[in-house]
Amino acid sequence: MEQFLSVTQQLLKGFGENCYIFAITLLLALPLGLIVSMGSMSKFKPLRWLTKTFVWIIRGTPLMLQLFVVFYIPPLASGGQFSFPRMNAALIAFVINYAAYFSEIYRGGIEGIPKGQYEAGQVLGMKKSQIFFKVVLLQVIKRITAPIGNEIITLVKDTSLASVIAIPEILMNAKDFSMEGLIWPLFYSALFFLAFCGILTLLFAFVEKKLDYYKG
Amino acid sequence: MAMLKVENIQKSFGKTKVLKDISFSLEKGEVLAIIGSSGSGKTTLLRCLNFLETPQKGKITVNGQALFDSDSKDKQSDSVIRKNRLHFGLVFQSFNLFPQYKVLENVMLAPMLLAKEQIKKNGGYMGVKTSKEAQELIRKNALRLLEKVGLSEKKDSYPCNLSGGQQQRVAIARALALNPDVLCFDEPTSALDPELTGEVLNVIKGLKTSDSTMIVVTHEIEFARDVADKIIFMADGVIAEEGTPQQVIENPQNPRTQAFLSRFNQSFS
Repeated sequence: MEQFLSVTQQLLKGFGENCYIFAITLLLALPLGLIVSMGSMSKFKPLRWLTKTFVWIIRGTPLMLQLFVVFYIPPLASGGQFSFPRMNAALIAFVINYAAYFSEIYRGGIEGIPKGQYEAGQVLGMKKSQIFFKVVLLQVIKRITAPIGNEIITLVKDTSLASVIAIPEILMNAKDFSMEGLIWPLFYSALFFLAFCGILTLLFAFVEKKLDYYKG
Repeated sequence: MAMLKVENIQKSFGKTKVLKDISFSLEKGEVLAIIGSSGSGKTTLLRCLNFLETPQKGKITVNGQALFDSDSKDKQSDSVIRKNRLHFGLVFQSFNLFPQYKVLENVMLAPMLLAKEQIKKNGGYMGVKTSKEAQELIRKNALRLLEKVGLSEKKDSYPCNLSGGQQQRVAIARALALNPDVLCFDEPTSALDPELTGEVLNVIKGLKTSDSTMIVVTHEIEFARDVADKIIFMADGVIAEEGTPQQVIENPQNPRTQAFLSRFNQSFS
């Protein structure tokens, strides 16, 4: 029993790191993704291609590799002069990675709004900003709730990748136990993820239901 | 003086010339019906009038004020284009109601935004000074318009719970809410089942008064004949024939008009 409590405590401490990465990544990647999506929808070609190349590189390489790049490249390139603290390196990699994915979801949501909605706003004398905020935005949010929810749930589990640059998150702690011969904490850690994802699932179901008052 | 004057409008998309020198004029209170086969440029003409497309050449004048002139060198700013658009209303083929708003909110949204903007800028909107008073005014007007199109009892419904004909009637009320000088209809019944067409056409007929100027692009020849004061038959981007319904529909001179109308005239003669 005493062992169970101390394992739980240790895993909880690790899971705190996961939650921290999760929260900061969401907070920064959700708005950053919107900026990136604006870039990939820009009428200015060079900006569009630059953004698309960026998204291709980020989505085309493993997040684990990106963590290594952000953590190891600056000190290597600067001859040891400069490096990010571990947690900052992890956050930079996560925020950039998730912003790229979110941007594509936003783009799909925005481009999926029928042209007629914009035109109806235009012939009614609305400004571009009024059309976006009063007409289009809520429709976009409704369309992207499910895919964004999917991505956010993936993020919960992806936070464990931070262990590759030695951030003491939950799986790393669990693995440490297993190296001491204690194997069950590794499987026990799944409960933490399940509980967290369960709450998120309920939350997204609630949002979807809230937005279900209209169709189209 | 003509209320609306359209002179030498030309519009191309890439190499395709869609409108080749269109000119016509309309008096206040007149209803113009534009007929013609698909691809003849009818819809593009309406979109040019509503500034959803910019013609390469031509001039559009409303009440003596030039809203668009390809000869003027100044590029029109967004706010000028927005202001110009308010002279025209447009009812779309596919309604384009805002799905997240109730019927009444659909009708009130644009006037409310406009009122707030004008109160902020000029200190007033249609004689009232606060946005609360403006809201009362706009709400009253919106309810009156919904009654006019026969949808008072649907004011709290969402568009997804209405039939196509009802949605189109809301769209008509929404366009009227801004009190445009010229109300345009782009094939308002083409997306409707035949049994829903009548209710929309009846509403449009009911709008015809001495001071409502309308342009209706339609395939409903009988409707055009009954409602329009003036008919334009378009073919390949030009006005092939224009005149009164008697002239154009019952006694067409141009062989293309004759061919287009032959099926219709057969079934009614």
